[in-house]
Amino acid sequence: MNTNWIVTTYLVYLAISIVLTIWVARTLHKNGRVFLVDVFHGNEQLADSVNHLLVVGFYLINLGYVSLALQIGYRVDTSQTSIEALSYKVGMVLLVLGGMHFVNLYVFSRMRRRSTLYDAPPPVAPDEFTAVREH
Amino acid sequence: MKEMLVLYDPNCGLCCRVKDWLLGQRKYVDLLFVPANSEEAWYRFPQLNHARTLAELTVITERGAVYRGPKAWLMCLWALGDYRAWSFRLASPELLPTAKQVIGMISQNRTKLEGVGKMLLKTDEKRAKT
Repeated sequence: MNTNWIVTTYLVYLAISIVLTIWVARTLHKNGRVFLVDVFHGNEQLADSVNHLLVVGFYLINLGYVSLALQIGYRVDTSQTSIEALSYKVGMVLLVLGGMHFVNLYVFSRMRRRSTLYDAPPPVAPDEFTAVREH
Repeated sequence: MKEMLVLYDPNCGLCCRVKDWLLGQRKYVDLLFVPANSEEAWYRFPQLNHARTLAELTVITERGAVYRGPKAWLMCLWALGDYRAWSFRLASPELLPTAKQVIGMISQNRTKLEGVGKMLLKTDEKRAKT
């Protein structure tokens, strides 16, 4: 009976974590695209490529964490301990996902700021104009 | 805009140090340095009031837009990859008067400030030695 409880807990934990990761990654992928297209001045191919790379990194880090945090170091032999262990583990995964999500948003906004700065016109108006001799 | 011309005072130690520092920075717009009132400056800008360029830093774009004094300093910042955001901050209505005052003060006392420049901004020769 013991092994059953812990294996079930692990399986439920994995299922919840993976579904959550996929959900967040897809949200990011879908909504980040518009942002990136703007950053790269309508170059959709480049935007899609960067978007994809970002999402891959997101998956790797999150699934890596999910996998590392799997082990439960104490006995799980009742429904109560199972649910408690599960809620703790899933809570941690949610926090990591949230943290990663904000890191991603920060990366997006930084990219965008950089690109708007790159295009920005001079901060002040000229004092006068003078003829320039070509050479 | 690809490049801008900076007319600087070659006889001012502080200006030369600032120039060296600018040359070492990442840029959005290239900065070409030409000594103020030099033959090259006269050749490129036949109609410019060159006497004024000796008194204050002057930046001129490819199209002939002339920026003098504090505006020229802001344009130099604007050209730099890491300081463009600062050029906008300093050009905001709240900060521009202060920026103008500080820059004016530095310009007027540039010969006296050479020592400070020596301390803060190492030239390439010095960097090579250390």
